[in-house]
Amino acid sequence: MIKGLTNVVEVDDVTFTYEGASRPSLDHVTVNIKKGVKTVILGANGAGKSTLFYQFNAVERPDSGQVRVLGQPAKYRGKRLKEIRSQIAVVLQNPDDQVFSSTVEDDVAYGPRNMKLPPEEIKERVDRALFETGLTELREKNTLQLSYGQRKRLALAGALAMRPEVLVMDEPTAGLDPQMALELMELAEQLHNSGTTIVISTHDVDLAYAWADEIHVLRKAEVIYSGPSEGFYCDNIKVHSTGVMPPSMFVMNRNLADIRGEDSAPYPRTETQLLSKMVSGPKGRLHVVPVTDKVDHYMLDPVFEHTDDVKVGVFGTVSRRLLYASKMPADFVFNGFESCVGRCLRGKDAVLLCDADCINLIEQKVAGLREFGTDLEYKVYP
Amino acid sequence: MSEESQMDTLAYSSRMLSWAPLGKLLLVIVVLVVNILTRSMVVPIITLAIGLILMAYSTNFKIPLFIGLAIAEGILILVIGAGLISVTGSDSSPVIWETNILWFKIHMTVDSFNTAWNVFLRSIAGITVMISFATSTPIPHLSQALRQLHMPREVCELIVLIYRYGFLLLERMESMWNAAHCRMGFNGFTNKIKTAAAIAVGIFTSSSNLADKAQIALSCRNYQGVFPVYNAPPKVGVKWVVLVIAIGVIIYYIGINTLGVVNMAEIFFGKDVVG
Amino acid sequence: MSDYIFETEDLTYKYNSRQEKPSLDNVSIRVKRGVRTAILGANGAGKSTLFYHFNGIFKPGSGTVKYNGSPLDYDRDALTELRKNISVVVQNPDEQIFSATVEEDIAFGPMNCGMERPDVERAIQDSLFKVNMEEYRYRPTIQLSYGQRKRIAFAGALAIRPDVLILDEPTAGLDPQMSQDVIELVDEMVEAGTTVIISTHDVDLAYAWAEEIHVLRHGKLVFSGAPEDFFADLEQVFLTGLTVPHTYSVNFMTQSIKGEPLAPYPRTNSQILCKMRNDGATVGHIRLIPVREGSDMAEEEGAVGIYGSGARRLFASKERVADYHFNAIECCLMEAINGRPSTLYCDEHMMPFVKGRIASLDGFGSHVEVVE
Repeated sequence: MIKGLTNVVEVDDVTFTYEGASRPSLDHVTVNIKKGVKTVILGANGAGKSTLFYQFNAVERPDSGQVRVLGQPAKYRGKRLKEIRSQIAVVLQNPDDQVFSSTVEDDVAYGPRNMKLPPEEIKERVDRALFETGLTELREKNTLQLSYGQRKRLALAGALAMRPEVLVMDEPTAGLDPQMALELMELAEQLHNSGTTIVISTHDVDLAYAWADEIHVLRKAEVIYSGPSEGFYCDNIKVHSTGVMPPSMFVMNRNLADIRGEDSAPYPRTETQLLSKMVSGPKGRLHVVPVTDKVDHYMLDPVFEHTDDVKVGVFGTVSRRLLYASKMPADFVFNGFESCVGRCLRGKDAVLLCDADCINLIEQKVAGLREFGTDLEYKVYP
Repeated sequence: MSEESQMDTLAYSSRMLSWAPLGKLLLVIVVLVVNILTRSMVVPIITLAIGLILMAYSTNFKIPLFIGLAIAEGILILVIGAGLISVTGSDSSPVIWETNILWFKIHMTVDSFNTAWNVFLRSIAGITVMISFATSTPIPHLSQALRQLHMPREVCELIVLIYRYGFLLLERMESMWNAAHCRMGFNGFTNKIKTAAAIAVGIFTSSSNLADKAQIALSCRNYQGVFPVYNAPPKVGVKWVVLVIAIGVIIYYIGINTLGVVNMAEIFFGKDVVG
Repeated sequence: MSDYIFETEDLTYKYNSRQEKPSLDNVSIRVKRGVRTAILGANGAGKSTLFYHFNGIFKPGSGTVKYNGSPLDYDRDALTELRKNISVVVQNPDEQIFSATVEEDIAFGPMNCGMERPDVERAIQDSLFKVNMEEYRYRPTIQLSYGQRKRIAFAGALAIRPDVLILDEPTAGLDPQMSQDVIELVDEMVEAGTTVIISTHDVDLAYAWAEEIHVLRHGKLVFSGAPEDFFADLEQVFLTGLTVPHTYSVNFMTQSIKGEPLAPYPRTNSQILCKMRNDGATVGHIRLIPVREGSDMAEEEGAVGIYGSGARRLFASKERVADYHFNAIECCLMEAINGRPSTLYCDEHMMPFVKGRIASLDGFGSHVEVVE
């Protein structure tokens, strides 16, 4: 990694037209993807989101303009091309388009094998990727027997096994059940926390708003906005002409602020943030229990010394897998953080079983609530 | 967009789209047959002119690059072929030019030179006529034409379905291809082979999936075993038949009356050579 | 005529005999005529399998299916007759578009049903008009974008003028604008008397749209009734692989923190905002302009929205782009809540529906005035 590098991908004034098409799919597009910034590419169907992704990893070559990956100009052949493809992984929307082997583990190994890595490293990467996506038990299964949600996770595992600097996901939640979608976004957050830059394309504004630090909006092959979400959504009619709607959280906050004659900022992006801003009452405590290698009842004993009336939520891949393995019941298996905090806001206590490497993330999230008026009492148990 | 779908777009925007497909087919066949019936040099020139005019009219004078390139490539191959024919004459007829290459003695004679031109012009003429048909007749229209020729209904419906699903599978192949690129599937020869095989398998499974689901969707839409046609392209009428036959006869008549009128050897090398 | 359009009794179905758990397991469901119905459930819960029992494509392993009070008859003629009344739009449009051009594909259903040629012509024109694709009539289907294919699949289903319209994941893969267009179309169908059933796992959509929901989990029917009653049982919601809609959740949390009753339940952003504000005031007004054959532009104020296919056509003919060209009712209500006037061009036959939506805010403590 080059020191002090801020942009992982720079797309500079790129124009691209598919062969035989009458109009360009990207028209003088300039987009910078910043390192460690949760980025969303927002746009209606056919606005050019997927085409833009193929510029990132040099699958398509621009007609004019330049693409730089990790500071170096993109090349479309030879060693540099291989380097780019291993640095930038793109997961397509339809999982069926990216299954290349008959068993789950073989398919995850497809990328690393193509990279010609040593066998021990391939095995290590495959194991990790399967674990992170919760496919470990299914590793020997035939890919044709997987459900849609499982195939979607398989596609992600295949990309993770390449250990990219930048992970690009095209419509990651499309077609998934709400719970699976939440699980996937949590995984994305965790990956981001561990240093991978994540870029997501979507037209789901609620999801984009809750997740993104920065958005780039595409409309008919052109980038019409780059920056923090609020700057885009405050222009109602511009949003409308892009074919999307302002996110519910944004709409509620803005209107409530107007009604009360208050300032719209700070902008809540999640339900708990909005509620913190709108109503206040007695708050419960959030008990955070770090999970490293096991989940069992005894872990909760120190919490029960304080109170009996708790509900249990989980956050993080490791915790969720271990919870399933332990057969211990939990109340909020999905959306654990939001649900637990929601309960605290209603004056009751909650326990969050959380991956040890995500404790800092939880601390940030709790600290983030202060801005909206909720000073949550929380305790991390050893 | 793949070349197949560019061709399709072209056909649907053709100005000759509304002509009866069977009529167009008849015209093409008749012209092609007459083209080779006589040895007159005038016939392929006329055919070429018809082909060029039809092609230009059909595509509204906008011939896409890939078709242009295909024609250029064809011309190049024909030039080489015709060149070979022109220098392999027998030494019984008047020789225009001869030389020794290694231990071969080659002659270019008046006859071989003319034959070469004849073959060249006939082939080019044939290609342009066929392209004018292809750029103005989408596959479903062709299937209609075949139906009018009393081909079995099943065959005609199969053609349309293959055509329709062919494009879906092509789309699928394109995205699998891109997905493979994203995971470095073309890094090295063995990987390339493996990836190509995997894509083939993927397309096969998806086509069988699609077939299963289409079966259900067909029932949902009350399919009764026959694909109905709402707007059949115009049928071939007496006018078409008369016109096509007339064109054929006229060209043939011109052909038998213009034997030797255009003599390429004479044009290129003067009267003296031909003697 | 029965009150129930579909009834199943102990319906059990397996795709093949080797299957351990049946895809539908003793399902007894009653779908009411004319009621906006959503079937909720995770992927693989059995939603599509259930639909294919409604139009007789699958024959139950055991149990019965009734349409309009009488059990389905599975002989060929009876099924043809049944499917003349029931249109199913499957999730992936590519599976159900069979013809090479748009026109042919839309004519496919009507001609299979044996409609007369002039009727087919009218059906083609009407349904293309409704999905706003008139200029695509002679275009080849393969050249259309995903959203356009989805609309053609829709038009093909409308063309047989069904009594029941069944939509499998109608908004999956569509961007917000197209989803709203679909919902608008569906509302128009409901107003015209069609019973519409939607399957989805989009809880926000189901909550905002449906009057009654049925929830499937692993092939079993676990809930039938008003959406609020289902979402109140968090444990059940989580078990079915679903989540709680935003509007439900925000209302639930604020009311519990305040210690106030949950009802009335807001289902849209405008309703929730009125409830929060709760001052009984008249907040603003919407100028409603009915659009009928031959209507023209009228006096406007504020932002301009259009609702309905007639209004769309009017604006297209004037080459005008409205400020709110989708989701216009909600957008205009938002303007009103902010005290700004707005104008809504609306198809005449949809006026009662739109007025109903506007009046619904009264129940949440705010009144929006209608100026005609």
